[in-house]
Amino acid sequence: MITLENIFFRYPDSDFKLEVDRLAFNSGSKTAIIGTSGYGKTTMLNLIAGIILPVSGDVIIEQNKISAFSDKNRRDFRIQNIGFIFQDFKLISYLNVMDNILLPFRINSTLQIKRETKQSVAELAEELGIADKLKKFPSKLSHGEKQRVAICRALLNQPSIILADEPTGNLDPENKKKIMDILFSAVEKYNATLITVTHDHDMLKGFEKIIDFKDFQKL
Amino acid sequence: MMAFFSCGKENAKEAVKKKEIVTVITVNYPLYFFADRIGGDLISLQYIIPADVDPAYWNPNEEELSLYQSADIILANGANYAKWMENVSLPSSRIVNTSASFKDELLPLKNVASHNHGPEGEHQHKGVAFTTWLDFDLAIEQAEVIKDILIKKLPKEKLVLDENFENLREDLERLGKKMIDVTLQLKDINVLGSHPVYQYLSKSYNLNIRSVHFEPDVFPSNEQWRELETIVDRSKENLMLWEGHPNKKTENRFHELNIDILVFNPCENMPAKGDFLNVMKDNIDRIAK
Amino acid sequence: MKESFYLAIKYLVFYKFRTLVLVLSIGLILFLPIGLQRLIVESEEQMLLRADATPLVIGAKGSSTDLVINTLYFEQEEIEPIKLLKVEELNSTELGYAIPILSVFKARGFPIVGTDLDYFSFRNLTLNDGRNLQYVGECVLGSEVAKKLDLSVGDALVSSPENFIDLAGIYPLKMKIVGVLKVSNTPDDTAVFTDLKTNWIIMGLGHGHQDLQKIEDPTLILKRDSSRVTTSSKVFMFNEINAENLDSFHFHGSLEEYPITSILFVPNDVKSATILRGRFGAKEMEEQIAVPSDVVENLLQTIFRIKRIFNMVFTLVGIATLIIIGLIVVLTLRLRKEELFTMFTIGSSRYKTMEIIGFELILMIVLSGTIASVLYGFTGFFIEDFIRQFII
Repeated sequence: MITLENIFFRYPDSDFKLEVDRLAFNSGSKTAIIGTSGYGKTTMLNLIAGIILPVSGDVIIEQNKISAFSDKNRRDFRIQNIGFIFQDFKLISYLNVMDNILLPFRINSTLQIKRETKQSVAELAEELGIADKLKKFPSKLSHGEKQRVAICRALLNQPSIILADEPTGNLDPENKKKIMDILFSAVEKYNATLITVTHDHDMLKGFEKIIDFKDFQKL
Repeated sequence: MMAFFSCGKENAKEAVKKKEIVTVITVNYPLYFFADRIGGDLISLQYIIPADVDPAYWNPNEEELSLYQSADIILANGANYAKWMENVSLPSSRIVNTSASFKDELLPLKNVASHNHGPEGEHQHKGVAFTTWLDFDLAIEQAEVIKDILIKKLPKEKLVLDENFENLREDLERLGKKMIDVTLQLKDINVLGSHPVYQYLSKSYNLNIRSVHFEPDVFPSNEQWRELETIVDRSKENLMLWEGHPNKKTENRFHELNIDILVFNPCENMPAKGDFLNVMKDNIDRIAK
Repeated sequence: MKESFYLAIKYLVFYKFRTLVLVLSIGLILFLPIGLQRLIVESEEQMLLRADATPLVIGAKGSSTDLVINTLYFEQEEIEPIKLLKVEELNSTELGYAIPILSVFKARGFPIVGTDLDYFSFRNLTLNDGRNLQYVGECVLGSEVAKKLDLSVGDALVSSPENFIDLAGIYPLKMKIVGVLKVSNTPDDTAVFTDLKTNWIIMGLGHGHQDLQKIEDPTLILKRDSSRVTTSSKVFMFNEINAENLDSFHFHGSLEEYPITSILFVPNDVKSATILRGRFGAKEMEEQIAVPSDVVENLLQTIFRIKRIFNMVFTLVGIATLIIIGLIVVLTLRLRKEELFTMFTIGSSRYKTMEIIGFELILMIVLSGTIASVLYGFTGFFIEDFIRQFII
């Protein structure tokens, strides 16, 4: 269960504010959050991931009040439990696909690269159709391929929470469907909670719950 | 460096091998004789000049030159003797000029063919007489220079070297005295020289020798006979000194001209038999007769 | 830490051109002062080695530096000549022995050094090929001369004419190469050694020509009688000495009066050296005596002052470069803000990110240091040649 309670957030030196009374996501659920740009959907995902802290209010994940964690604990929790698929993929240009996928394991000591890790990469890459791209650099990949690399990175550790920010943006319909199928399949496989931010109404089929964020964003 | 000896004279003695070896080489026979008398077993003395050449005009080949270059002491006569030394490379620290101490007493050559380039002035060839050993006092001085250099090289042998030198000095002085006695007999005789090699003999024994350029084995040309006439004194008895006995034809002509012949061997090169003292003694005996 | 190192390497390898430029720049900045330091130290050592190996030098009064530089390094500075007579005078003191040096001419850019055989034994120069000097007109080459001019025993080397206009003076002499010396790692490697007399022949003080008594061509004879021949300047002088014409070579006047540029004097012992130096202190002496090690040390003091200036300049340049490099690093970090934020969002701590950047910097510094070390090591191969060619 993921709960946001009495959240108030603002960026320094900015007029933007986010205020949510209560927003909850059941474990294992598939939720799509829609709404026009600028309402704070991505901000909300960042709050859930613990990347940013609310000025006031709580973010609680399975009884863990992560908004009260230290920076280190929040990071460790994030890397162990959350798979974040960023809107702009956030691939590292000087790392090949394999290294990009393994990046979380290299930057946080709570995850260790073992032999089976690389085996998992190969299998996941095969599943995502990028097995032949492992030695390539991001500059040589198509938009769809980059997206799948980002997904592979997010799913490698079998997270219990999958946060996806516009996972199908700029993809053609065939690839969009492929991506969504992968995400839904991961939810089933890892018994994960999927929260997807999207403004692509064509991709809403398959989600159990669709939330229009303007209904929750008070400001 | 291979050893190269002429005249079959063996100079390396057993005793030398046990001590420090000082190699000595000379440019003519008289210096060789002096070095041998003084140094004896104490030095390794070399004489490589062929018997049939005049050492003053001899040119060593590469092998022979390298023997000079490698010797510890090169005994030079000085007075521009051995023209070959002018055009070769020798270690100057090892050259000993045995006539350096009396260079101011060297006798100039007269009537030397010279040349100059362009009308700007005469460039005389180095015209000094070089048969210094024919003045036995000068010969003693040359021997003393040899003794001094050997003492410098072999300081521990000073006593022996001094003694050897003294013995040689006595022999040369004896010769000198004899020479004075016999040359008194020549005071009324016009003494001529077949070759300009008797300058020091002439000066030291007051012989006033005037010379031509005759060779013992070559009958002189008409011009040369005419030149002879310019130095013959018909008011006196004339006697010509020769380095070697002239050929028969020349001898006969001298007989016709009423000029006596006397062989006075300057002993520049190693004699076929005997040594320097023997040769000089024979010269003196011939004068005495 | 292993992973941070891995990521750092990946970054540097991906941006290899940028990395190379930075690493080479820093490497060069690190190398230059230490390279210069080595060059100066080794030059000092070489110069002092040569100077220490030469007890005393005698020459005309004037600059003792020029005298020593000319004699030891054959730099052919303009110095007044002295007479060969001085050699005999010095030898007669029995305080040691004197070696004459005459170094005024060149042959294809290399100094011709006229001397005698004592020089070779004094300097412990041995032959690699051929033999030592024997006759005038011969030369023995230093190892570098033979190598650079691709000459060997049996070849010929012509002395360079001083002045094409001076027809009556110095003219080129074709010298026969009879020997090539072994490498000595001294200025002797770049010299052409001849006998003194060969140098005098180049000077025109000695010459060879056909027998003047036998000249038939009347246009060559100005005057002739039974004892003297006066020739015109037209008579042909040999410009090469061989077995056939060797005997015709001669010198006019007394050799004692002939010029040399300096004398190396090898004293018997320290006391002899002191006595001789004392004698040269007298005002009436026309020559000067120099102790090469003293002269070179003074010279090196000047170089040492210049070295300090160079070091200061290099330090300033180094600081400026480091500032620029620091600026580049800061700007690069700004450009990488997004990448670093990605890592942070994925789960990297600030410390971890700094560790990655830190490794990048350390790797660059290590690579730069390696380049500097390699360059420093390479200079070891070439420094002696460089010093011999450009410094001494």
